[in-house]
Amino acid sequence: MVYAEYAWLIPILPIIGLLLVALLGKKTPEGGGYFAVGGIAASCFLGVMVALEYLTGGSSEPVSGTMTWLQLNSTLKLEMGYYIDSLSAVMLIVVTILCTLILVYSLGYMHEEGERKRRYYVEISLFVVGMEGLVVASNYLEMFVFWEIMGLCSYLLIGFWYYKPSAAAAAKKAFLVTRIGDILFMIGIISIFASFGTLNYRDLFTHNFIAQPVDMTLLGVGLFCVFGGAVGKSAQFPLHDWLPDAMEGPTTVSALIHAATMVKAGVYLVARSFPLMVHTPDVLLIVAAIGGFTALFAATMALNNPNIKRVLAYSTISQLGYMFLALGAGGYMIATANLSEAAAEMGNAGYMAGMFHLLNHAFFKALLFLSAGAVIHAVHTEDMRLMGGLSKKLKITSFVMLIGALSIAGIPPLSGFWSKDEVLAAVYNAGSANIWFYLLYIMGIVTAFLTAFYMFRLWFMTFKGEGKEATQHAHEAPRSMTVPLIILAIFAFGTGFILMGPDGGLPAVIRTVNLDGHLIAGETLGLGWIEKLFTEWQTWLSIVVAFSGVGLAYMAYFKKSISVDRFATGGSKKVYDLLLARYGFPRAYDWVGMKVVYGFSRAIDFFDRTVIDGVVNVISRFAVSGSGVLRKVQTGVVQTYAIVIVSALSVILILMYLLGGLR
Amino acid sequence: MLEGIPILTLLILLPLIGAIVTLLSGKDPKVAKSLALVFSGITLIVSLVLLLSFNLSAGGIFGQNYQFTEQYQWAKSLGISWIVGVDGISAPMVFLTALLCFLAILFSWDVKDRTKQYMGLMLVLEVGVMGVFMSLDYFMFYVFWEIVLIPMFFLIGIWGGPRREYAAIKFFIYTHIASLVMLLAIFAMYFQANLGTFDMRAIQAAGSLFPNGFQMGIFLALFFGFGVKMPIVPFHTWLPDAHVEAPTAGSVLLAGLLLKMGAYGIIRIAMPTLPQGASGWQWLLLCIAILSILYGAFASLAQKDLKKMVAFSSISHMGMVLLGLATLGTIGIAAGSFQMFSHGLITAVLFMVCGVVQHKAGTREMTKLGGLAAKAPWLATFMMIGFMASLGLPGLVGFAAEFTIFFATWQTWNYLLLIPIISVAITAAYYIWAMQRTIFGPLTDKIDVSHLRDVNWFEAAPLAALCAAIILFGLYPSLIFDFMRPAASGLAGLLGVI
Repeated sequence: MVYAEYAWLIPILPIIGLLLVALLGKKTPEGGGYFAVGGIAASCFLGVMVALEYLTGGSSEPVSGTMTWLQLNSTLKLEMGYYIDSLSAVMLIVVTILCTLILVYSLGYMHEEGERKRRYYVEISLFVVGMEGLVVASNYLEMFVFWEIMGLCSYLLIGFWYYKPSAAAAAKKAFLVTRIGDILFMIGIISIFASFGTLNYRDLFTHNFIAQPVDMTLLGVGLFCVFGGAVGKSAQFPLHDWLPDAMEGPTTVSALIHAATMVKAGVYLVARSFPLMVHTPDVLLIVAAIGGFTALFAATMALNNPNIKRVLAYSTISQLGYMFLALGAGGYMIATANLSEAAAEMGNAGYMAGMFHLLNHAFFKALLFLSAGAVIHAVHTEDMRLMGGLSKKLKITSFVMLIGALSIAGIPPLSGFWSKDEVLAAVYNAGSANIWFYLLYIMGIVTAFLTAFYMFRLWFMTFKGEGKEATQHAHEAPRSMTVPLIILAIFAFGTGFILMGPDGGLPAVIRTVNLDGHLIAGETLGLGWIEKLFTEWQTWLSIVVAFSGVGLAYMAYFKKSISVDRFATGGSKKVYDLLLARYGFPRAYDWVGMKVVYGFSRAIDFFDRTVIDGVVNVISRFAVSGSGVLRKVQTGVVQTYAIVIVSALSVILILMYLLGGLR
Repeated sequence: MLEGIPILTLLILLPLIGAIVTLLSGKDPKVAKSLALVFSGITLIVSLVLLLSFNLSAGGIFGQNYQFTEQYQWAKSLGISWIVGVDGISAPMVFLTALLCFLAILFSWDVKDRTKQYMGLMLVLEVGVMGVFMSLDYFMFYVFWEIVLIPMFFLIGIWGGPRREYAAIKFFIYTHIASLVMLLAIFAMYFQANLGTFDMRAIQAAGSLFPNGFQMGIFLALFFGFGVKMPIVPFHTWLPDAHVEAPTAGSVLLAGLLLKMGAYGIIRIAMPTLPQGASGWQWLLLCIAILSILYGAFASLAQKDLKKMVAFSSISHMGMVLLGLATLGTIGIAAGSFQMFSHGLITAVLFMVCGVVQHKAGTREMTKLGGLAAKAPWLATFMMIGFMASLGLPGLVGFAAEFTIFFATWQTWNYLLLIPIISVAITAAYYIWAMQRTIFGPLTDKIDVSHLRDVNWFEAAPLAALCAAIILFGLYPSLIFDFMRPAASGLAGLLGVI
């Protein structure tokens, strides 16, 4: 292991870039953006080397190193360090490559921002520190530290154009809503720490539950709370509503933080906690149910939204739901496998599917967002109703975005197809363990249909049809933007094929779940498995569903043979408006915030001023009858009080003596 | 290295000499300012030397093993001596005192009205607080405790806002009554021990044998006496008034140091001397702590005046200190002490930021502010660091304290943690909302912003120093926590909890 021992350096390198931007950004081109790119590219190089070294090393033992951060008492201590296993190695590859590509794209996209560019590069470098630190962290507390640093950067970058009231409000909402999840996460960490006496993954994942039993109810509550953190960060129901608003930030931020990396942290957290979660099937059922419901719920809101970025935001929420669904289903299978090798094997497939979808989604969603960024860059609006016919002017963008759309819609052989199919297969299989998973499977299929439809609605509305006023002067983006787009398009097209690598390729590597100290080995995947895949009816169903979604969008938004306007009027208007109003969630959040919490605080404040301070003032007025002269108040009250206090205290003292004597 | 040097007495004498020299200096305010700055600066350096030469590995029974102890007979017949010493709890507080006094004096560089007296009073205040944190004799302790009140009374009463007289008198009377109760409790312990000495160490050694009823009663009296100072709900109403009217540097020292005296008294005197009282009243400490935490947080959310919001947040955060202490265990007590230190640093930033806003914009009413980040980016940056630290962002000093206190709470009472932890959300809400209304959004048109400037050098320097400390101790809290852990472990041992 040459590189792995330097894994701690990965989140340090962007800090160097950050400091250079802060110090020299004013005098260098692009507000010091090249320093930021340099720092992140360096950490990308190291991260990829560490990951490849680990994954090709053939060892399934994690590489870890820690130091004491805070010694709490003679036995308990909190530590900081690094922990590289197959899961973090795969995450490292995804995260560092995406960060680098999106930073390069930023050089072009943020070019016109002037003075503010320096702040942008400082904040985004700090974000990268947070994300990379989270991936290599050696324990839950360290993860939480970086988790919160990311939250801060997300807050700052959503509010990048802070002078816009909508941006300031969106930033506030993002911070506060995710904060609810963070509190749950903190409770979860605390309860795990209290149960196990350690937070280090190395110790937790090799914990012998038979030799040292822990309270399983407490563990369940703790892990449920940990999942609460994931719900907030990954914008799952009911803490999902901050993410659409977060689109107030620059598009690069939406792509990097709110699609490709930070929102994945919640999924990563659940995957990370898998060795503990497989002991608590109930929690995993909740994970799957929340994920499955959110997938469908968010997809419906993407159906009629006119804002290109918001459609992508709902789509992100929905796809994250898929990942939780797969993890929950897979984990549930393992948890209830009862030594059945086959069931545990299917469970592992679910875990693998969730992470595989994470990987694919990171690339194709980053591609979609950055393509949308190129469109916005060209037409200076986010409203799709003002766009149209852009495929002639933005040839590269329209083509790469088509690849992204095909991928997310699940059209074979693009990457999204493979992972989505595996997700659905895992959920279907889990139905044999618990009947509810069949319902979740149906929800997943419906979501797949809706996804194909809304993505192609977006694509047709933007690139086909007739040009509008906003599209008159559109021109293709500069090279620094199109090159990352092309690279991402290659990924979005091809990452599915890594399934065909040796032993099932990269995603199969991460399917090593440590269950009671035993590593469950997987059957060989590869080409033979793909052959098997296409003989199952579920696969064909998902293909049919995907094509029919695309077809419906084609009829409605390209051929216009189905009139969509009638849904906005008449009987279905209520549903249409309900979707646009996001099922009333923003209003509900506001109601809780302003009416309940703020109202209660106003009541406390009123009580404080009138009752508590009122009593104090009445006593002093009583003590100094009718005095307006403050000098008099001073001496008078002190003496009066002294007498009152002395006598009262004497009574108490006498009472206490008597009580003490009685014992 | 420090053999034979009376370093603690020096730490009291230096600001005292500084105060006298400053008050006697001529008419030039610049001379007075410079003198005050130099003397508080030397004190800061000496306190840093103290911190660096403190022996971290020395443990022993809490309240009996002090370092740098000095003892001189004073009034033998009454049993009063000059005894000073520090342990792992007080040494960081001494450093904090020197640091905040120095920075507060620097921050007050533009005080034009009676500069000489102002600077002198600041140094007198430093003398008092230093004395409180290192006295090991009850008589001395009480004298220093009262010395602190006087300069603060004048700082509020002379240099304060429009309602300064009401606020100053309310502050004085309220805390003075608490002092009297404390004094009576001290006398009760003195007579009960019947050793003819005011030596804290001797009385503490005798204290564990006091009858249970006596311990319960006197603990309650001490808790009231110290609690008003912290302050605890419902005896807190002097605090918002005092803060709103006090000049900025006064607020910094009031919240940064004076509130800590209350919590320090509970750790130094009430808990070790009356261990049965502490365990008997544990439920009360817990209830008051949770009440203060939530009440302070909700009250903060309702405020429209930025400074009043910060003042109420102090109540909430000092409630966190009490929550840690209420666990009576090593981690809780150490974490509570660390929270004292961390709150001292953070609240200083918060009040300085409020002062800058008032100074530059002419108002602290959040409804009239908005978009200041465009005009004053450094002010916005400092405000954000302070607010983020106060709401417990990891990587900054507040988080380490908060997390450990919550952990200790869970260890002691399990699910009860769910109540105080609500405050984390409320705290985030009032700070984030305050930022939205003051520094973000469109630039306000309700006040004249054409002359609005960013921070001056003498405002930026202390703010930058404090922010650096917040980040340093946030990244590596062990630097201070390691002082507190052995002492906390000793105190937990006295209380029968480990």
